Amino acid sequence: MTRRVSGLASLAWVAIGLYAAFLIYPVLKSLFMSFTDRNPLRAESKFVGLENYHELFADDRLRATLLFTITVVVVVTVVANAFGLGFALLLNRQTLGFRVMRTLIFIPQVLSGVIVAFLWRSILTEGGLLNSVLRQLGLVSEPVSWLGSTEMATISLCVVVSWVTIAFATVVYSASLRSVDASLYEAAKIDGAGPLRRFWHVTWPMIAPGTTINVVLCLITTFKLYDVIAVLTGGGPANTTQSTAYYLVQVAFTNNLFGYSSAIAMLLLVLTGGAAYVLTHFLRKREVPA
Amino acid sequence: MRTRRLHTGAALLITAAYIMPIYLAFVNTFKSQDQILANPAAPPVPFTFDNIINAFNRPDQLVQGGLANSVVVTVATVAILIPLSSALSLYISRRTPKVKAALLAFFALGLMVPPQVVLLPIVTLLQQIGLDHTYPGLILSNVGGGYLSFAVFVYVGFLRTVPEEIIEAARVDGASDLRIWWQIVLPVVRPATATVAIFLGLWVWNDFLNPLFILGPLQGQTITTGVYLSVGQYSTDYGQLFGIMFLAAVIPVVGYLAAQREFIHGLMSGASK
Repeated sequence: MTRRVSGLASLAWVAIGLYAAFLIYPVLKSLFMSFTDRNPLRAESKFVGLENYHELFADDRLRATLLFTITVVVVVTVVANAFGLGFALLLNRQTLGFRVMRTLIFIPQVLSGVIVAFLWRSILTEGGLLNSVLRQLGLVSEPVSWLGSTEMATISLCVVVSWVTIAFATVVYSASLRSVDASLYEAAKIDGAGPLRRFWHVTWPMIAPGTTINVVLCLITTFKLYDVIAVLTGGGPANTTQSTAYYLVQVAFTNNLFGYSSAIAMLLLVLTGGAAYVLTHFLRKREVPA
Repeated sequence: MRTRRLHTGAALLITAAYIMPIYLAFVNTFKSQDQILANPAAPPVPFTFDNIINAFNRPDQLVQGGLANSVVVTVATVAILIPLSSALSLYISRRTPKVKAALLAFFALGLMVPPQVVLLPIVTLLQQIGLDHTYPGLILSNVGGGYLSFAVFVYVGFLRTVPEEIIEAARVDGASDLRIWWQIVLPVVRPATATVAIFLGLWVWNDFLNPLFILGPLQGQTITTGVYLSVGQYSTDYGQLFGIMFLAAVIPVVGYLAAQREFIHGLMSGASK
């Protein structure tokens, strides 16, 4: 019997081929370029060994972007999970009104980062909506520069990114809460556990899968954040709100340092992948086996 | 009763505070610049459609052009990805456990690679094959990138719940692989297809980085990059800004409101993979 290649297999291999070309190959190409001094303005590029990686350690701007990125990732992950869980607990009822509220809360997730950032910028700029309200209420006499200083811009950015991520976390936690078996609460009640203890000993461990999802996805999305930064602060003031992903794009496309930008890309990849792997591993352990 | 009312009050208050920015964007779309600055939070009285009309009447056709381009890119990407990823997932599901695990690990990489890491090699690859600054180039890189991984994980997860007997019965009847996929599996996995279509559609529609660098500023824009490039960093013409933002956001938001059950369901099934 001759074995003909099935149509399904050929479709599958088309997909595998495209994935290899547009994901695997680019990752390997980045890795390869990170050992060269490739620059599109020069015809020749040569192998420079680990020079780009040495450069990583000497680059003060890179260090600043790493510090900034990690700050935003940690703040957003903590804030989004705390508020997301809080909102989910508050809205955990099945009446129409509560369902409508849960529907509304997800809207920030549906908007593109560009729209979100433009919206918040119109609120936060010097002549923006927030300052105009604050002045009318007589709370401030001079407009507050919400995006003007490093500290304020960082806080503003954390607020905006958290605002988007809370929407996601709320929906995931809402679904997790609904999956908790009601008889567990009954049993805890009979044992005389108050609301706080019921939360700590029943709800919290039972929603562990939701926590894993929220923490890991929040981490990955914040590491690769680009559009919100581009619109809200443009990386400013004085490049102090640049994430590593944002800096990497600038080094590659503005400074044309392909070799060095590839080394930053490898650092970002290892950082994102490593953090996601470690956290998934750690958080999965506290999930109750199904 | 009292605590119940207190609870409802708190829920309303907090939800209102949270969606305040959305409310502001919505009401200010229908107000003049003076009304907006006088009181941003006031309802749109008197009511005006000027901002929306002005957004449509821009000489650069930003809104019409951007929306049309976004529809083309999004529809093409999703329409190619659904058959490819469902066929691939069926193929993966029917391998031996070892091969299956290896293929899934291979595709898991796509879920966590930040797009910035692969952006430069993708742009140079597209240059080499002559597809840089083109819509086919953007669509192709969408199809082959991390979106495929997401689709594979949704489909493979869903296929675990499809009983093996359905496929075996068809095989015994002599149906080819392709027929089994098209006539038996695809109808059964329709909920997974809904999830994949909704989320990929949303992500491709809202994508910023890839269209910005793959299409470049000269080759027309999707609605997202169009808004970014035309509105400018320091525009204070709020009437115009809100008019354009409203038109850029209305399709995903209405889509979400119309299909929210599938959205939430899909979010949970997709996220737990």
